[in-house]
Amino acid sequence: MPHDGIIYLDHAATSWPKPPEVFAAVKRALGPAGGNPHRSAHRLALEAARLVLEARSAVASFLGAGDARDLLFVPGCTFGLNMALKGLLGAGDRVVISSVEHNAVMRPLAVLEAHGVEVVRMPVDGAGRVDLDAAEAIIAAGKTKAVVCQHASNVTGAIQPVADLADIAHEHGAVLVVDGAQAAGHLRVDVRALGADVYVASGHKGLLGPQGVGVVYLAPGLELPELVQGGSGGESVSPAMPDARPDRYEAGTPPVPAIAGLAAGVGVLARELDAIMAHERRLVQRLVDGLLEVPGIAVLGPAPGEERAPVVSIIHESVEPDRIAYELDSRFGIAVRSGLHCAPAAHASAGTLETGAVRFSVGRGVTEDDVERAVEAVREVCQA
Amino acid sequence: MMLRFVVYGFGTTHDALAAEKALADAGIPVAAVPTPKSLGALCGIAVRTALEDAERTESVLSASGIAWTGRVEIEDRVPGDLSR
Repeated sequence: MPHDGIIYLDHAATSWPKPPEVFAAVKRALGPAGGNPHRSAHRLALEAARLVLEARSAVASFLGAGDARDLLFVPGCTFGLNMALKGLLGAGDRVVISSVEHNAVMRPLAVLEAHGVEVVRMPVDGAGRVDLDAAEAIIAAGKTKAVVCQHASNVTGAIQPVADLADIAHEHGAVLVVDGAQAAGHLRVDVRALGADVYVASGHKGLLGPQGVGVVYLAPGLELPELVQGGSGGESVSPAMPDARPDRYEAGTPPVPAIAGLAAGVGVLARELDAIMAHERRLVQRLVDGLLEVPGIAVLGPAPGEERAPVVSIIHESVEPDRIAYELDSRFGIAVRSGLHCAPAAHASAGTLETGAVRFSVGRGVTEDDVERAVEAVREVCQA
Repeated sequence: MMLRFVVYGFGTTHDALAAEKALADAGIPVAAVPTPKSLGALCGIAVRTALEDAERTESVLSASGIAWTGRVEIEDRVPGDLSR
């Protein structure tokens, strides 16, 4: 369905439009629950604090975290991954990562590598999935402290065998850190069933919330140093952050409107996830089939019919990705993303580091008609 | 008339508000209040229930896995909103 004349196929960047429930929740957080949640104890502040408590419980339940205190609100997925990586790893440590990680993992690791962390990459197969046999050999080849892997690729949509990686990591004494940016809200995520020690997700992508909040699941017993120190609302005479979760990891005033909106988005997903997943699978199938019928187009990642997150990236034999994206927007009102998608490692693996690709990513609210129109528009752009 | 309460302090606001919810869900009149100085430098929000409900309060909190880190009995002329 076009919104304001837009066919929005950039859900992997951020979901849009947000459900009406999200708008309502943000409004409540700016109005009757507009106090500072963890500071004062007057009614406005208490309403804000209750809102954060309910939100934490709802998101924790949706993601399968047993205790809501293990579910931390952070400014975003990138922040959460920085917190996990910089908290876990120091000079002399060895970390094993997939060779298709996003810059939210690669760039903090580049800094850590410069400070003496050994970074080793696991290869992926032609569809962009981690090769488990190779992964086990690499993880076992040294004293690996952590294994880091995305749950789903923002470039190819490939879904990684996260539960198997967790087993391998644990067998060799390592913890598993999962970047769930493209999975949460699009796949059924149960952090404990997956065996993730740290699972990080964005609040504004598949989880349908506003920008400005992400979540970190931190397994019980795994203590990381906090990345940021500041006011926590309690134990104020101590120069150190309190040990207790979630306060230790949430210094400063939390983004209550974003948290409220996130909880509302998760509320929608808790009711509709199965239907959304089935809908997205149909849209992706139609996109892949339709785009492959356009002469000169290749689809990156998993083969047609194979499971993938709702992301489809293409290249054309002669028309540049930026040209396709620009014409889709300017001539047809279709929003997609071209370029490297902040994931040069994934593009290097797919052989598209030089060209980039055009990414179509669908979500709740996208219709089959939207997808048909996008395919026809691509055909027209590439024929010219 | 002075009323008698027990005020419970917690390590985090999350625990304080979770305690408030657990007690309210159990039908125990409870109020979230600013943490009194006598409880020390805990989180800024405490909860209080009537002294006669202390045993039930502590039983509900224990069953909910919420540990209070401070406890003080007070008298107060303000009844507070114990309805939630």
